[in-house]
Amino acid sequence: MPRRGAGCIEGSGCLKKEVVDIDELGLVRIDDRLIHGQVITVWSRHKKFTRILILDDDVAADPFMLEVLGLAAPPGIKVEALSIVDGVKDLVSGRNDLGTTMVLLKSPLAARQAYDAGLKYSALNVGGIGSKPGRKNIFKNISVSSDEIAILKYLLDQGVKITLLTVPGEKSRDFADLAAKL
Amino acid sequence: MINIVLVSHGELGAALIQAAEMIAGHSDGVYSVPLLPGESPEAYGEKLSVALEPIEGDGILILIDLFGGTPYNVAAREALKERVECVTGANLPMLLEVLMSRDETPLSDLAAAATVAGQESVRNLGEMLAGRG
Repeated sequence: MPRRGAGCIEGSGCLKKEVVDIDELGLVRIDDRLIHGQVITVWSRHKKFTRILILDDDVAADPFMLEVLGLAAPPGIKVEALSIVDGVKDLVSGRNDLGTTMVLLKSPLAARQAYDAGLKYSALNVGGIGSKPGRKNIFKNISVSSDEIAILKYLLDQGVKITLLTVPGEKSRDFADLAAKL
Repeated sequence: MINIVLVSHGELGAALIQAAEMIAGHSDGVYSVPLLPGESPEAYGEKLSVALEPIEGDGILILIDLFGGTPYNVAAREALKERVECVTGANLPMLLEVLMSRDETPLSDLAAAATVAGQESVRNLGEMLAGRG
């Protein structure tokens, strides 16, 4: 369940603010490969996820791609895709158990759009952003453009802890430590 | 001739081809399209399209290393095309089977044969030998 007005003193009136603070989310991950080898073989075993929710306007509008992704999901994991706007509404509604939900986003831009739409996650896992022209490699299989660095710094400023980590057990990097040099 | 394309994480596909050649000798019409570390799905998709485009013949059988991996996600769309079939769980017995029978087997039957060969080659030897020695 999302906590409403987290950190407020009861009776102070600030509970009325529709702040939805979601640090109970199982995992919010940026990975442009979405569901793939690392997710199905490692992450799904590491945490007891029952639901993978892809927040991506393209996949939400592409039933074939969603079927391809869902076919290979491990047993017991439901795969869904929603547009960023609809997905944030779904997540903050409290209808589903957030602790067992993995939220997948394709890019830093999508992560910011979700955050600004009201999904106030406190931690963000950057698991994979492939290289392409305009992006520079900052860690392992993670490459970002200057715009994407600015977005990640924005999220950092909002208090989001950003961890660069492909799979549990591998070496990780706190984006805050890298940010000053970028 | 039916062409065989291996799509894999890294050079697994190329290594399977090399291993198959040790057993069955050199074959034409066998290709590997590796997903390289750090490569984006979009870049890999373009690479796969470019690799498949000039391939001529009686169709293409794509052998995918991991059901659910990025090569699978990217190659899946090819399965909708005419004269393309995709089978996941690529392994050496599967590749050998299709290399041996592709000349006399229609594409859809070849995909079925690949699936059976791949599955039947996986054995728990300890169980099979239980009670001996």
